[in-house]
Amino acid sequence: MAAAVKLTSSSVASSPTMQPLYLRTGFHGSSLPSSSFSATPASTDSGCGKSTFMRRLTSVFGGAASPPKGGNPDSNTLISDTTTVICLDDYHSLDRTGRKQKGVTALDPRANNFDLMYEQVKAIKEGKSIEKPIYNHVTGLLDPPETIQPPKIFVIEGLHPMFDARVRELLDFSIYLDISDEVKFAWKIQRDMAERGHSLESIKASISARKPDFDAYIDPQKQHADVVIQVLPTELIPDDNEGKILRVRMIMKDGVPNFNPVYLFDEGSTISWIPCGRKLTCSYPGIKFSYGPDVYYDNEVSVVEMDGQFDRLDELIYVESHLSNISTRFYGEITQQMLKHADFPGSNNGTGFFQTMVGLKIREVYEKLRAKDSPALASAARA
Amino acid sequence: VAMATPTDMNDKLSQSIKEAEEVCVADNGSGECAAAWDEVEEISAEIAHKRVKQSETKDPLEEFCKDAPEADECRVYED
Repeated sequence: MAAAVKLTSSSVASSPTMQPLYLRTGFHGSSLPSSSFSATPASTDSGCGKSTFMRRLTSVFGGAASPPKGGNPDSNTLISDTTTVICLDDYHSLDRTGRKQKGVTALDPRANNFDLMYEQVKAIKEGKSIEKPIYNHVTGLLDPPETIQPPKIFVIEGLHPMFDARVRELLDFSIYLDISDEVKFAWKIQRDMAERGHSLESIKASISARKPDFDAYIDPQKQHADVVIQVLPTELIPDDNEGKILRVRMIMKDGVPNFNPVYLFDEGSTISWIPCGRKLTCSYPGIKFSYGPDVYYDNEVSVVEMDGQFDRLDELIYVESHLSNISTRFYGEITQQMLKHADFPGSNNGTGFFQTMVGLKIREVYEKLRAKDSPALASAARA
Repeated sequence: VAMATPTDMNDKLSQSIKEAEEVCVADNGSGECAAAWDEVEEISAEIAHKRVKQSETKDPLEEFCKDAPEADECRVYED
């Protein structure tokens, strides 16, 4: 079941035949400051380093992501040629026992060390390596630190990437993954019901006990995100509560430097599009796209929405060819990226589609920043 | 360091669910109650991650070739 595994995701297939398909951005040596940053609160829960989204992102940049070699087996970090993804759970100031004693959840800012987070993210951005603690999700303890070298692209993923204003200032691009309560509930049931001890009641209790902290500390961060991916129940099937068919919205802020929102057919118009018809056969319940301008937390935004799921690949390329500003390097790049990870959860619906698009956008932001940096760096070298 | 097995984690999960239910009987709006359910969530998430990792269907040939890349059925030449 696609949705069930979405939360947990699978690790990347380390197929020996996998070739990086894109030009490597070989300009930055590892000693130079990394120029692109992004952030994603795993708004559901700490799917840190394990989320499908991160694997899609790192794949766009080429090369498979894997945990650091030879270190702590419970490390949350993922490293690929260009990208390092760290999990912000590593900045917990209280371990599992500590939180229980104080009566605070991991969502509570008091359980997190934002000073250390800020210092270390800043150091990485300045091109220095850091000694970052490891929060061990198995034992619930803070393990001895691991060394993180500054990468070209540094991704911080977790519950509070945009909570602290100082950290927020350091980010070049930010993403929020917003799962609606209905879908969250459906996914957790699929994930947890089989576990011993868990029942419908305990899943409900767990969600509602954490909700006040979630609403107070996590949810408000989405107003700061450049892109919000919203996952909602479908509207194509009345009263659907299985969470299998999803309505996914990509909310893109206007006026973000180096970022041009994706649009459908005509920029700035409001459009509803059902791509099924003479040219495309779709099975029940079909696919419906919408596009239009909107206002989100007092910001001007553009929203692309997809409801339903793909049955076959030709649908995907057909849709891709009608979208503009998708930052692809060649025709069909999104479809090809999706095909590469056809086994990932979300590959047949808007979650995978929009996550891949965001990956291409991050690549573009990174390249634009790099181009802006290079004259400065060149003149610095001359001086 | 011994790796935690899924059964260890499962025992921990049912234990923490029981604890959470007990803590919340007194006051289900308290920080202690939220923290107890937060622990349940963290352990459930970790179990789910482990389960996905384990259930990844490993290709028997790929597994064999990791150890024996020189075997006839494993050799791959780039050109």
